[in-house]
Amino acid sequence: MTTMTSHAPASPDPEEEELDSEIASIRAEIQNLQKHKRILTSSLLTTDPIQKLLRKQPQPPTINPTDPLTTISPLVHAAGAHTFSNHHRIAFGATAFPFKDPSPTANGATLLGVRIDVCARNGRFAKPYYVILQKERSRAGPGAGGANSKVLKVYRHTVPAFISIAKLESVYLPRPGVTRDNGDGVEGGSSGEDEDTEPAKPWKKGGNSARKQDLRGFVRELRRELVAWHMRVDAVEFLREKLGLVGEGGGPLPFDVSPDRDTGIVSLAAVAIEARHVRIEWVDGRVGRFKLSNTGIVERAVVIGDQGRDKKVEDAITGGGGRVETVLDRLRVVLSGSPGL
Amino acid sequence: MARPKTVRAPTTASLPNNLRIPSSTPSLTKSLGKLSRQALLDLAFTWLDDRNVASFPPYLQTNDDTPDDDDALPYPAGKTTEEVRQVYEDLQDRKGAKREVIERILEGDWRHGITLRQLAMADLRYMDDHPASLRWTALELSRIDTKRKNSKGLPPPDWSGSVPRMQAATFVQSLQREISPLVKAHYHLAHSATLPLTFLRIFVVDSPYQSPRQAAEIFTDSSRVIYVAFPDSCPYVYTSIAASTGSKSAPSASSVATDTRTLQRLVRDSIPKALSRPQERFSLQVTSLAAKNLPTLLALRGPGRSTASNGAFSIFADAATEGSPLDPRPSNTVSPEEHIRASYSSPTEGKENTNGRASKRRSSGIDTAPLSPDSKKRRLAIHSRFGTLGSSLAPAPLDRLDIRLLDKPGSSDEQYDDDVDDSTFTPPALSLTFSGSDVIGGIRRLAELGIVDPERMPSWMTGEEGVSVATVRLGRRLQKDI
Repeated sequence: MTTMTSHAPASPDPEEEELDSEIASIRAEIQNLQKHKRILTSSLLTTDPIQKLLRKQPQPPTINPTDPLTTISPLVHAAGAHTFSNHHRIAFGATAFPFKDPSPTANGATLLGVRIDVCARNGRFAKPYYVILQKERSRAGPGAGGANSKVLKVYRHTVPAFISIAKLESVYLPRPGVTRDNGDGVEGGSSGEDEDTEPAKPWKKGGNSARKQDLRGFVRELRRELVAWHMRVDAVEFLREKLGLVGEGGGPLPFDVSPDRDTGIVSLAAVAIEARHVRIEWVDGRVGRFKLSNTGIVERAVVIGDQGRDKKVEDAITGGGGRVETVLDRLRVVLSGSPGL
Repeated sequence: MARPKTVRAPTTASLPNNLRIPSSTPSLTKSLGKLSRQALLDLAFTWLDDRNVASFPPYLQTNDDTPDDDDALPYPAGKTTEEVRQVYEDLQDRKGAKREVIERILEGDWRHGITLRQLAMADLRYMDDHPASLRWTALELSRIDTKRKNSKGLPPPDWSGSVPRMQAATFVQSLQREISPLVKAHYHLAHSATLPLTFLRIFVVDSPYQSPRQAAEIFTDSSRVIYVAFPDSCPYVYTSIAASTGSKSAPSASSVATDTRTLQRLVRDSIPKALSRPQERFSLQVTSLAAKNLPTLLALRGPGRSTASNGAFSIFADAATEGSPLDPRPSNTVSPEEHIRASYSSPTEGKENTNGRASKRRSSGIDTAPLSPDSKKRRLAIHSRFGTLGSSLAPAPLDRLDIRLLDKPGSSDEQYDDDVDDSTFTPPALSLTFSGSDVIGGIRRLAELGIVDPERMPSWMTGEEGVSVATVRLGRRLQKDI
């Protein structure tokens, strides 16, 4: 601290500067090590043998005031609970939690939060997605079950905008008498399902068709869509890596890249954040675009060169099962044989 | 370089990219003068780039040029493009005023005129450098449903089909088809260099002729320029509101439909039509958000996570509550200060989570610094009310917030969302307008200073709704009636 402040007014002496940078790097290292230590301690606490061991001790026979076990036990419990919920998050991908809106004008009821975890290709988890649902008293006609009947409604969410929560909601969480601007009019597709996540309550509404809210279906479809998006992004990233278009740090390379040797591709990138369409550029000026399906199949492809569409390449992109991961292999077969590259 | 004026027939084509504005136009100096020196140099390099130089040819010395013509001007014309490029590289290397670059461009290498496209590029470059230079309104594209009441069967397999796909060229073509009978326009479409946005710059004139005879000043009249921005992968459109009190340098006496406001409405009306396809029609709807800052719009009406969770819920948008499932540390043991610093210093990959991302529990263990219990409690409340909004983590400044309060004096707990009995009497309305560089951040500061009670303030003060205009009753925003 003192070195930092004292250095500021004085003119920078090269030697001092060097010392300062050294100090800063050492501080950063200390911080890193501390972080590492914290991670290690908590991982140690959460390991199965230790949890078992510490839990097995019923009541320590001799209550020693300096016994480290008694002071450590809340930590152990917290670590155990944390691992437990992490296991759920990893295994099921969708977990629920209660949330209390701090706003004084909120209607006081606890909100239902759903957390969706998606594992990305590099073995890490993406930022969790949240959907916060509000329980709303049904304001339906006289046929409604009175105060008992509660319907769920999406209150807040962190799902990217190209996945239409409104549409999903209108299908899986229909509410009587509510017409949203978009997505309205799509009849529920899963009204026949028996499984309900909530305890059975009569969600029958007078007048409207007796569509049930299907929270499980809602979360399932939403998660599927999110996972599909991540897979598309990962697939594009995978192709870019195979082409050598990704730099060391994962960032894009400077503009001039040498074309891929076999396929002559100079650029391959998702068109938008949604990563539904992928654009390819070849070194000879051909431009292509293909569409990815949720299951990782290339649905459609268009390649246009100077002489119009290049059907041969298009067929190579969509053919052979159409898996996106093997697109480059198929292109290689077609393109490496063709002259003029 | 004057265009031949022999044929002047009204057409419906758009204004050509290469329509040149005389370099002597004084306002041209002004509109280029908005840019920084570096930006001007970058532009010049772009124009002189091998791929572009055909569109923006610099004034070169030709053999039949009379040399004495050049002597009159301060800048001798270059012989080749390479030579011209060298001039700007020299300018790049040495420090100097931007004045000399502008003069070099206008009186030297582009003395035959700046094309409309060049002007558009300069304007967009300015927009990239100054994302808060214009006031933008966010509009939502929503599908007009053609009542598919018989589709009781399968749900649509594609939940992400709500965003209309935009092919730039096709879109401009159909937009042109929509507005060409009414106005003459020049279009320039470009993807922003810094933001995930596609800008469409539309310049409108009220002349049916290919080379309008108006004064050249008209081409730099900023009130005739309409910007439309299309954020990537989300059903929103941003438009600029042209300043209504724009320069009246070009009195539009010819017809009614040519004052800038009308032109703007025309263009705005035709955007959804141009995006629509058979069986798939869209309309634009207001989203009660207008802000000067494009990043704000992207945060509140963009493709990202924070579009539908703000205020207290921004902790979810930033995933600041809990860490990754692989993080062994219980999330309440990681102090938020450290976390905020950590995640702020490394604003890495947009959606990828880094492993050590864990942070504050909703309201427990927020704070470790020694504070008086009162201020500690207040800090907890502020954290729980504002989440990460208004802090350095989520910079989405609103420059203006208009609130209309419709509370009846002494009204009790009458529910909020039915406007049924409103017709019988007119409730007293109280309008509040906050303006500043960052309204929500300012309210947060007030709460930190103890001027605003963080526990009792209504949620619109926390920016939870993500709007800039709202009608509020009983602390809740009314959905309609905007």
